[in-house]
Amino acid sequence: MTSQKSALEPPLGLDDTAASELPEPPQHSRRTVLGAVASFAVLGLATTVLGEGLLNPPSSTEDGNFSGETLEFLIPLASGGGTDTWARFIGTELTNYIPGRPGFAPVNEPGGEGISGTNKFARSATTDGTEILVGTASTVVPWVLGRSAVKYSFEDLKPVVVNGTGGVIYARTEAGVNGIGDLVNRDKPLEFGGISATGLDITTLVAFDLLEADVTSTFGFEGRGPVNLALQRGEIDLDYQTTSAYGSAVEGIAKEGKATVLMSFGQLDGSGEVVRDPNFPEVPTVAEAYEQLHGKKPSGEKFEAYKTLLGLTYTYQKGLWVPQETADKAVTLLRESSEKLGADKEFQTKAAKVLGGYPLVADADMADRVRDAYTVSSSVRSYVKELLESKYNIHVE
Amino acid sequence: MLDSAMAALASLADPSLLLMLLIGTVAGLVMGLIPGLGGTGAVAILLPITFGMEPPQALALLIGALAVVHTSDTVSAVLLGAPGSASASVTMLDGYAMAKQGKAARALTLAFLSSMAGGIIGAIGLTLAIPLARPLVLSFASPELFMLTVLGVALAAVLSRGNIIKGVSAGLLGLVLGMVGTSPTTAEERFTFGSLFLGDGLSLVAVALGIFGLAEIASRASQRRGQKENITLGGGWGQGIREWLSHWTQVIRGALIGIWAGVLPGVGATAGTWLAYGQAVATAKDKRKFGKGDPRGIVGPESANNSVEAGDLIPTLLFGIPGGVPSAMLLGMLLTYGIQPGPSIITEHLDLMYLIVWSFAIASILGALFCFLSVKQLAKLTKVPFAVLAAGLVAVMLLGSFQEGGQLGDLWVMIILGVFGWLLKSTGFPRAPFLIGFVLAIPLERYYFLTDSLYNGLDWMARPGVLVFLAILVLPILWAFIKFIRARRNTNLDDGHRNERPEDDESPLKNSVWSLTAAGIFAVAFAAALISSASFSPEARLVPQLVSIGGLVFSGILLFTEIRTRVRARTASTGWTLDAGFAMKTFLWMTAFLALTAAFGYLIAVTVFIPAFLLIVARARLKVAIIYTAALYIVLLALPSLLPIDLPQGWLNTLV
Repeated sequence: MTSQKSALEPPLGLDDTAASELPEPPQHSRRTVLGAVASFAVLGLATTVLGEGLLNPPSSTEDGNFSGETLEFLIPLASGGGTDTWARFIGTELTNYIPGRPGFAPVNEPGGEGISGTNKFARSATTDGTEILVGTASTVVPWVLGRSAVKYSFEDLKPVVVNGTGGVIYARTEAGVNGIGDLVNRDKPLEFGGISATGLDITTLVAFDLLEADVTSTFGFEGRGPVNLALQRGEIDLDYQTTSAYGSAVEGIAKEGKATVLMSFGQLDGSGEVVRDPNFPEVPTVAEAYEQLHGKKPSGEKFEAYKTLLGLTYTYQKGLWVPQETADKAVTLLRESSEKLGADKEFQTKAAKVLGGYPLVADADMADRVRDAYTVSSSVRSYVKELLESKYNIHVE
Repeated sequence: MLDSAMAALASLADPSLLLMLLIGTVAGLVMGLIPGLGGTGAVAILLPITFGMEPPQALALLIGALAVVHTSDTVSAVLLGAPGSASASVTMLDGYAMAKQGKAARALTLAFLSSMAGGIIGAIGLTLAIPLARPLVLSFASPELFMLTVLGVALAAVLSRGNIIKGVSAGLLGLVLGMVGTSPTTAEERFTFGSLFLGDGLSLVAVALGIFGLAEIASRASQRRGQKENITLGGGWGQGIREWLSHWTQVIRGALIGIWAGVLPGVGATAGTWLAYGQAVATAKDKRKFGKGDPRGIVGPESANNSVEAGDLIPTLLFGIPGGVPSAMLLGMLLTYGIQPGPSIITEHLDLMYLIVWSFAIASILGALFCFLSVKQLAKLTKVPFAVLAAGLVAVMLLGSFQEGGQLGDLWVMIILGVFGWLLKSTGFPRAPFLIGFVLAIPLERYYFLTDSLYNGLDWMARPGVLVFLAILVLPILWAFIKFIRARRNTNLDDGHRNERPEDDESPLKNSVWSLTAAGIFAVAFAAALISSASFSPEARLVPQLVSIGGLVFSGILLFTEIRTRVRARTASTGWTLDAGFAMKTFLWMTAFLALTAAFGYLIAVTVFIPAFLLIVARARLKVAIIYTAALYIVLLALPSLLPIDLPQGWLNTLV
């Protein structure tokens, strides 16, 4: 670096105000520069090498105690979104329930709509239970679609705790929709407003395909909030909202009669069947809607695909995951602490809005149920890809 | 209603609440000062502290910070030409020009007063808008939002008087750059070359800090000497306040535009501030001084950029639709307290709504007051030799820009755009249209497609809102055309010759090899965009193709004029000047710094880069260099544990 010195003469005659300025300072000798830079470099190097060891001592998480540890949550999305809020809230509460009360360090690693951060976790996470991945629909859907950018697999991860959500599909009354029957045999198809066919919208698209509803779709909205506004303006006719947004987005306009709630996505029960959503006990599920429209129970590959996506994107949507190789003792400790947290009455009242009324699930059988839900058959994959290609002209790479 | 408003005010007399508001305000001011952090950084730092607080305390803390971030982000924009946030780059246009004329204190006084007024008007607007918000938001459908984005881009042409072709070219190139990433309609990747990093698009902070901040550093890092003379305060506070009062209509107009931009989801602070600037220029009779230190260019935008935050709270609270990351985090916090945003918030939590309004207003006043009192001290910064400041600025700006995405790639983008920004600046291209094009690219395309697919044919053109926008767009062009014809008849000098005036010392490399290169880069970039967009699906390629064809036309004209001037001039034009050489060397320094970071991590890069730069380039005294580096070293050590700031990790960090 010092060899550049002579080339760095000041440009002469740079400005005309030189008279009002102080004289040009003299050059430093090569020795001064080298000495100063070298000593600081050594200082920096020493801190980096030694500091790392001092600040993060090797962990012991298998002794039934996380004291002195820090739980690092890798949130693969930008700060501020729903998943980020969820993860920070759960993390702050959970660390109080883990023996030894470890510290909590949420790390946002946004990029590639959640793929980059999750790839990184799959590649380099430590296996002592202190590094935890936050999973959500944005990272699950590209994995289901088998996008080439995805270098992780939920089959190589272990769930610690999962938490679901639900949602409802509703329509603009003025478009001539007063009930489920108005979804079919229409003169003019209903317009569905979406964000992107390869995101969370996919579950709704599969539901429409299953129901054989008369629907055309427009994608490109910024988020579900703007879609809701577009529906209120009459630009689109059909929308869905998740449970946490139902209160602010749908309840009011449904009461005013401007919108009609058609069906809920439902929830998967322990045996993998679609049941009514506890938050919408009065609203029929997609499966019931099918029965009402077609007079028989739904079955076949479309329904299988719907159930798979329902589990992945709603019932077991959000979760905390650790690498498969993580020691069982550490995972069990984390899981049991989460279970205690979920059972705490005080937490439940506090968490009612953040969790949208769906419990934290961390019982001993949870892992098996999640394993089943996260096993995606090849026929479901190919059906979804085929649907995207034929109907929406999207080729998943 | 008045009762709850007064009750909310009375509750602010509670010392714990007041303390929270004060802490929030100070945190907001500090975060605003550091280029790249801004509102997101402020809320991210304060959010974890609020867990466990009562809702009023937590709200006072966060609102206090949000209200003043755009007050202090002006400081570095005006004094150093490095905007604290993307939206401050608008204030920079005239503010920095004033500072260079030795009127830094005057510019800051105007800016702070306007920020304060913007905040107060924003708070009043927030109160009044509560009943109006719903019809207002619902009346802006996709066609109106599309027209609004068109207006924003078109302002680029209006505002680059004298060099419209350069302005439009820069705006179009900004649009192309904004389209890098995932297409809003078909979710396919464009111009990413298979890179996951580019798939998210470029970071706004990196683009703004690169194109303005790093470019400025490169062109001024050669200044080793401080100003000997004291900086004139430009007549002191009294005169500042009087001058500011004379622009009161600009203040109000700016604030109203800001609220409006904040209320509409998807417009954002940068575009809102820009619209306020455009409005100020478009309505001014004498436009010549804009960009050269016109106070009206500071007052309007500065007022808008604070009221945007207040406006943004309206959709956040009433619809649960946040307009930016800071308000999204605020929304998350409300949810953890079981406060459900939505129309019912007015009936259920009216006291909290008023608490927000009062906190916003009080924080605006406090923030402006703190800044106002420190104007003299802040203005002294201009006495420090720029080269000495540059070392720390490079380190701080790269660190700030790293926080948004946590990717080293953003920093490389920043340096590349820094070089490009320097080239634009030196060859007389306006850079603001470039940034505005970048910001509006995706909304423009999104709302075009939504409009196109949700409305039959051209029905949308007949909507009253659209007609208003069309009139705003078309009438000035017609007017300019008429004036042009008249001017032609009189065969006087017309606007076209303006850019050849010698007074323009801002762009020393005009009509040189450099400007030829710049025009060439534009043409090549548009051609490349046109060619590579051929492989996209029809929907995803329409807008990029239109933009690049337009860009090719304009950059073709540019290239033609450049070549013609060179053929005609014959005399040797400016080539590799000392300034240019120095700028390029500074960029090499930055590149070396980043390379060091990638290899050994940020801490080592700083401990090597700072003393080396200070001693070799700035020729600072040895004592200064040692204290400077040591101070930065200690701050960097303490920072990650005090604030949620991550230091970039290098290859070495993965080993140990």
